[in-house]
Amino acid sequence: MAQRGGAQRPSGGGQGKICQFKLVLLGESAVGKSSLVLRFVKGQFHEYQESTIGAAFLTQTVCLDDTTVKFEIWDTAGQERYHSLAPMYYRGAQAAIVVYDITNQDTFGRAKTWVKELQRQASPNIVIALAGNKADLANKRMVEYEEAQTYAEENSLLFMETSAKTAMNVNDIFLAIAKKLPKSDNNARSCWMLQVITFKTGETM
Amino acid sequence: MELTPHVQEKLHAGHKLTAVVEAGLVQDFIKNTRVVALIEVASTHVKQGGEQALLIFQTARVPVHSAIDLSIEQVIAVDTNLKCEIDTSSLDVDTDVLVNITSGKVRLLFEMPFSQRTNAFVSEILRAAEVVSKRRGPPPEFAWLQPYQKSSTSSQDPASPGSAPTTADTLDGLGGDAVSLGDVSVDICQNLSSTYPDPANCNTENSSVHTENERSPDLGVNRHSIATGLSPTPIAARESHIRYQMAMREDAYTDIQEFTVFVGTWNVNGRSPTVGLAEWLAVDAEPPDVYAIGFQELDLNTEAFLFNNSPKEQEWLNAVLNGIHPKTKYRKVRLVRLVGMMLIVLVQEKHLAYVRNCAIDTVGTGIMNKMGNKGAVSVRLDLHNTSICFVNAHLAAHQEELERRNEDHDCIFQRTCFHLNITSNSPPKTIKDHEHIYFLGDMNYRINPCDMNIREVASSGEFKLLLQHEQLTQQKNAKRIFHKFKEGNILFKPTFKYDVDSDEWDSSEKARQPAWCDRILWYGDSITQLEYRSHPQLQISDHKPVSAIFMAGIKVVDTRRYRRIYEEVMKKLDKLENEFLPQVTIDTTEIILEPVKFYQSQTKYLTIANTGQVPVQFEFIKKLNDVTYCKPWLSIRPYSNFITPGEKCDVSLEVLVDKQTAAQLNSGVDQLYDILVLHLEGGKDLFITITGDYERSCFGSSINALVHMNKPFRDVPVAKLIDLESKQPKELSEMPYAVPKELWYLVDHLHSHGLQVKGLFTHPGLQKEIFEIRTCLDEGVEHQVLPGSVHSVAEALLLFIEALPEPVIPYSLYQAALDATPNFSLCKEVINKLPDYHRNVFEYLMAFLKELLNHAEDNTLDANTLAHVFGSVLIRESSAVAGSSDRRNQNQAIERKKQTFVHHFLMND
Ligand SMILES: Nc1nc2c(ncn2[C@@H]2O[C@H](COP(=O)(O)OP(=O)(O)O)[C@@H](O)[C@H]2O)c(=O)[nH]1
Ligand SMILES: [Mg+2]
Repeated sequence: MAQRGGAQRPSGGGQGKICQFKLVLLGESAVGKSSLVLRFVKGQFHEYQESTIGAAFLTQTVCLDDTTVKFEIWDTAGQERYHSLAPMYYRGAQAAIVVYDITNQDTFGRAKTWVKELQRQASPNIVIALAGNKADLANKRMVEYEEAQTYAEENSLLFMETSAKTAMNVNDIFLAIAKKLPKSDNNARSCWMLQVITFKTGETM
Repeated sequence: MELTPHVQEKLHAGHKLTAVVEAGLVQDFIKNTRVVALIEVASTHVKQGGEQALLIFQTARVPVHSAIDLSIEQVIAVDTNLKCEIDTSSLDVDTDVLVNITSGKVRLLFEMPFSQRTNAFVSEILRAAEVVSKRRGPPPEFAWLQPYQKSSTSSQDPASPGSAPTTADTLDGLGGDAVSLGDVSVDICQNLSSTYPDPANCNTENSSVHTENERSPDLGVNRHSIATGLSPTPIAARESHIRYQMAMREDAYTDIQEFTVFVGTWNVNGRSPTVGLAEWLAVDAEPPDVYAIGFQELDLNTEAFLFNNSPKEQEWLNAVLNGIHPKTKYRKVRLVRLVGMMLIVLVQEKHLAYVRNCAIDTVGTGIMNKMGNKGAVSVRLDLHNTSICFVNAHLAAHQEELERRNEDHDCIFQRTCFHLNITSNSPPKTIKDHEHIYFLGDMNYRINPCDMNIREVASSGEFKLLLQHEQLTQQKNAKRIFHKFKEGNILFKPTFKYDVDSDEWDSSEKARQPAWCDRILWYGDSITQLEYRSHPQLQISDHKPVSAIFMAGIKVVDTRRYRRIYEEVMKKLDKLENEFLPQVTIDTTEIILEPVKFYQSQTKYLTIANTGQVPVQFEFIKKLNDVTYCKPWLSIRPYSNFITPGEKCDVSLEVLVDKQTAAQLNSGVDQLYDILVLHLEGGKDLFITITGDYERSCFGSSINALVHMNKPFRDVPVAKLIDLESKQPKELSEMPYAVPKELWYLVDHLHSHGLQVKGLFTHPGLQKEIFEIRTCLDEGVEHQVLPGSVHSVAEALLLFIEALPEPVIPYSLYQAALDATPNFSLCKEVINKLPDYHRNVFEYLMAFLKELLNHAEDNTLDANTLAHVFGSVLIRESSAVAGSSDRRNQNQAIERKKQTFVHHFLMND
């Protein structure tokens, strides 16, 4: 007979449903896209982060109160010459993080072009977050927080200043996206409920 | 793939293969291929035939080619311990089903394809298990399995690396954190070699220590199996694994809370509740948390018997609701009734939110094993995280019907089956699938005749003496019934049979002997009985009601800890998933070509090394909107391949600018630049940039551009080349040539040196010389002398004509030219329509060819040959059209027409 019952969803709100989403990171090269992913997925930071030549792929799960969101993360190469390849990755994505470096005004301009491109060519329901990275380098700041925030508000983007180095707002921005994503069943590739499942130890009568 | 003969070969004489499948054995999110076979021993070999067992084979390769590929890893006897369950809950994720096979401490989780074959296989196992559960007599010995046991890898050599990468070892494999998450591994860390009850092999400590070493400390995954390349693949059924892992860690996020459970049973002899039931149901000071109240003979009417409807149901329910403990509020969880058997389960209102997955079932064991005058009604539920089952039974009556009662008992256990309807995909549950079971009812077991006066002793209170002769106690002690159940000491008078409305023993003619018909038994850890008693004050029936109070330890989920552990499981899973993504390193992402020359190929190499833990399938993929994965001047070999971990693959990238691609490069429409997307299946993409400079050449330039170049080709600035190749060139020469000077050099050279050469235009030239001729033409011919043999010059001439971006007969006149072939004058009309310089070239070449034919005696050329050779280069179809297949079928006819076209001009003026 059963020795162990199954794992059940605690009545107080559990992680019953798992939804899977494709998320893409875009932005000028060296703004810290890979670093943000590394911080989020592995909790690490590398001072000499190898530059991405291609599109790196990782997964990470975020547990919300009532659902669990699994991100399939595509971290793209930022160099201009790979620009034409970006649609391969943002196409079909339900979420995007457009990253700029707060110490570099050009990267903010580039971020705006990415946002525009996404608004035009990505899926219309895509959730876009704008990340002003390297917030730890506030003394070299070239992009004012208010400026970016105003821009984000005008374009209905989530906005946070982040630091892959100090981990500031890194989990938070992914969490904010997870919360904003629609969890309807057809948006998720796989949704399911935790149900009783009994694995018998064989202690039969 | 036909497995049967190979597995058959592995069996010993007299053993029969019943069914076999290939399945993925799931170990820590990795699955490895196994062959699972169900075998049976013939009845001549053992006393009781039909004993069956499962053999699990490791496979040296997939698919299996011969019996040598199979080695026995596991032997599992099909006995009463064996359980097989299908979990189809991941069906919407992929098309595999998870099949759980458990026996004793062994748990194996297989992923099998959702197929007929799997279905049949599992059915066979279930059938075999059913046969075992029904058999009587001593348990089977399975001695016939010994030879397999000996040969199984794990038992033979517990230290062999492949020995036990089994589920049981690695269930806690999400990392070495089993300790921190609570005691998960204690009862599961057992080497599977002890599956078969061979005490010598049960040395669990040794074997599990060993496997611990085999596994990588951080991953908890048997790296050996990865290294040996039997391609473990991360499995998709992530969800099932989370549940599995959570189930394994249950202790870490649940607390045991004590609940009081009141269980009552009463055979009411068809009477109505004319008295209050509080004396039975509410005699304790504190209200119980749960009530399970069972009745038998609720209604003796034929109406109830035949149609199972009865007004008594409501009457007795009301009586119960009025009789239960008044101190608190209760809610009905379920009521189930079959004829006279009724079971009511109530919980305190505050617990209702924690009651889930309720289900009922009824089993009739009356006439034809169907009618509901005997049998059982049952309710199952989950209270917090503990599964509970209540069974209210009424077994066969009469002193002598002992065996019938036993059979009724068996029948109830076998046939009771709960379907949890909220998830149609979770397997149905039997009584034994519950952690807590309360079995109550009128069991009807009697006291065997003995040398005592049963009535006197029963009245005297010397119950111990009588209980020695009590059938249920005897049968239970003999392990015939209620195996592993417990019953409290009986300290109350027999509850049967009284004259109604009295405490007097049956005074009727039948004068039935007193008996403890009405009983309550239980199964489950953490249950303590506090009370076991009868309630003789209630006299309306010939039975007295019985009740028991239990203290039951119920597992209550701590949401905070549950969440923490759930997140931890998810993290580990993410980590595993990320580590098992395909990983490669490439030696370069930037390929820079040496200057590329027309028709001269160049090869570069790229080395892809699998630096990850899983086999990699790579492929160069198309970019969005592209039709091919690379530019036409590039060819990649192999463009897709499979690399096992630690291995490398060299990919060759050959660049060749030929007559098809030169024109685009000349005109600047295309460049020697491409970004290749190297995709790893199920993982990342890598970009490889390939760049180079193309040395433009007169080969691949157009007639119209070349006639305007009165300097060596190499000296013309690129901008001017591009301008001349454009549709409307801005800078035309004031004195264009009649034909391109390069063409003139080639023809003139042949005219001077080749008229008498045998085999001209049929004898091949040398590549090296052709390159030299190309360079010479591009850089400027000195003294009108070309390098190389006449054959090379002849071939260079043909190549030159063929590389013209617009053929001498332009694409627009292609069809007209073919259509004109029946008639020379039509052909001439086509030529008249040619642009000036094209016509010049055509006529120049025809004149030259005729001159060649004038020397036919020396050079042995004939008009047919020349017409064929030149027809195919002068008249060309645009490559966009040439691709279609029906065109290619007509190729011969078309080639003949081209030949005829040119032939006209060679034979006529
Ligand atoms: N100070 C600081 N440096 C960062 C931060 N994020 C990334 N970097 C550094 O910026 C460089 C480029 O980062 P990388 O992640 O490769 O950028 P990507 O090209 O956008 O992927 C690396 O040297 C990182 O160490 C940050 O938040 N603060
Ligand atoms: Mg990067």
